[in-house]
Amino acid sequence: MIVTEKNISEEELHNRILDFAAYVLTAARGLYKEPQSYGPMRLADALEKAVQLLEDAGVRDDSIEGALAVIREHRWQATSNPEAFAEALDEAIRQLVQVTLEDARKQELANESKRA
Amino acid sequence: MGLDVLEAIRTRRSTRSYDSARRLPASILEALQEAVLHSPSGSNAQESHFVIVQEPGQIRRVKRFAQGISGNPAAMVALCTNQREALEKGGIDTAETLRFINLGIAAAYILLTAQSLGVSSCPVRSFHAKAVQQVLGLPEDIVPELLITLGYADKPPRPKTSKPSREVVSYDRYGKEHL
Repeated sequence: MIVTEKNISEEELHNRILDFAAYVLTAARGLYKEPQSYGPMRLADALEKAVQLLEDAGVRDDSIEGALAVIREHRWQATSNPEAFAEALDEAIRQLVQVTLEDARKQELANESKRA
Repeated sequence: MGLDVLEAIRTRRSTRSYDSARRLPASILEALQEAVLHSPSGSNAQESHFVIVQEPGQIRRVKRFAQGISGNPAAMVALCTNQREALEKGGIDTAETLRFINLGIAAAYILLTAQSLGVSSCPVRSFHAKAVQQVLGLPEDIVPELLITLGYADKPPRPKTSKPSREVVSYDRYGKEHL
């Protein structure tokens, strides 16, 4: 994770947080009446908005970029071809599993070097 | 001079990514206003109301409660019904059903007018009606039923998927094809 300078003002950050909170709540409310396939789409969009918000607030983590790229590539299929989007989600999750396992290996090595 | 109607119908696609730096000139908004004023209404009840939103701060406030809006549109139209007028002037049928048909016709006029003038669009039904009603300052009787976002597309449209024509159109009786 990289912590950088904020690239937006405090006021804009306040507005962006409100945008995000309202989006998540409005999307959640809407899903009671919307097609089932809208659920994964709204969650993927919420993730995209959260990552962008964090980046603008000065927090970036490149480890999820690969997974996000897969989701972005297949986002348009979320409702028109839910099976293809589900496969994209599987691929993105597989990439996050790899990140998780690599982090675990690094942690293990760090623990070993502490013990040595 | 815009496209002819059929060309506008053939070429229009829903747009979800707009060039955020480009605003709509006043002439486009005037054309949209003219289009809705010429839209028909059943029983001539004229119960529809349209809010053209163009001020960036107001677009943002509406968008906050409209999860179906993608990208940064240059403007949007909120298509609303005055429910009291619908009942008083058009009766129960207008209040329950015809008002949606009237808004649908007006929506088509807006979409095609925009397309004919080189402006992209996307109809959006995914929004919180009560929240948008409050943000737009609409009276209690006037409810938003559809939003149409407008702007200049900055990406090509998605691939089109359509049913075969025989599943959509019949001739003389259901299921009979033209030839």
